[in-house]
Amino acid sequence: MSQGNVIKSEQSLWWLFQRISGLSLVLLLLLHFIILHFTGGGEMTYERISARLNDPLWKVFDLAFLFFALSHGLYGLWIITGDYIRWDWLRVLVFFGLVLLAVVLFAFAAITLIPFF
Amino acid sequence: MHRVSGGRVIKHYVWHTGTWAWVLNRLSGLGLVFYLVLHIVVIHFVRQGPESFDALMGFLSTPLWRFLEWGLLGIILYHSFNGIRIVMIDLGWVVELRAQKAAFWTVVVIGLAGWFAGGVLFLLHMTG
Repeated sequence: MSQGNVIKSEQSLWWLFQRISGLSLVLLLLLHFIILHFTGGGEMTYERISARLNDPLWKVFDLAFLFFALSHGLYGLWIITGDYIRWDWLRVLVFFGLVLLAVVLFAFAAITLIPFF
Repeated sequence: MHRVSGGRVIKHYVWHTGTWAWVLNRLSGLGLVFYLVLHIVVIHFVRQGPESFDALMGFLSTPLWRFLEWGLLGIILYHSFNGIRIVMIDLGWVVELRAQKAAFWTVVVIGLAGWFAGGVLFLLHMTG
């Protein structure tokens, strides 16, 4: 830590992000898990789920959770594919594929999370 | 690992503890991305109204899906605890190789304990 306090490149910024989002996800998931499975009887019914999704505070929580989960997961995929895909043009293709996947999944989930029922 | 032998580079892996930790982290991470996509799709059904959503939830509470969810719990526990181990190594809190290996086995033991405890909760929930 003593010699590594300077962020030198985009990669190391992403490296740092993966640590911070990872630790955040552990806490967010723990809360998500306790609320859904250990409070209110733990039943997954429309009534219960839609009531929670209608709470503006949970909307903010879930959107933040979604953002961290998607970026952490898809950056992970980017790193994994980087170990096996060597050709530059395919790397570019994978990059845009993952960005597209991120946008589509975020939009699809946001359609569930944002509107009120 | 690369070893130079008689002018030729022989490329092969030696499976150390850290290699297992790394491979398991990748596989569990891939599993979690797959689950995240499924989760987003499943919860999207809440927009289809009560009948549709409750029918889907009914289907997903059959023993097979409960068993798969228990598997998911194991994957989450490993990826979380090993992630914390990685951050601790990066912060310089766990430096020596032996300590890193000990940290890995701690992850395995705590993870398995949590996994089996979770399995008991699953069974209690399903039977009662």
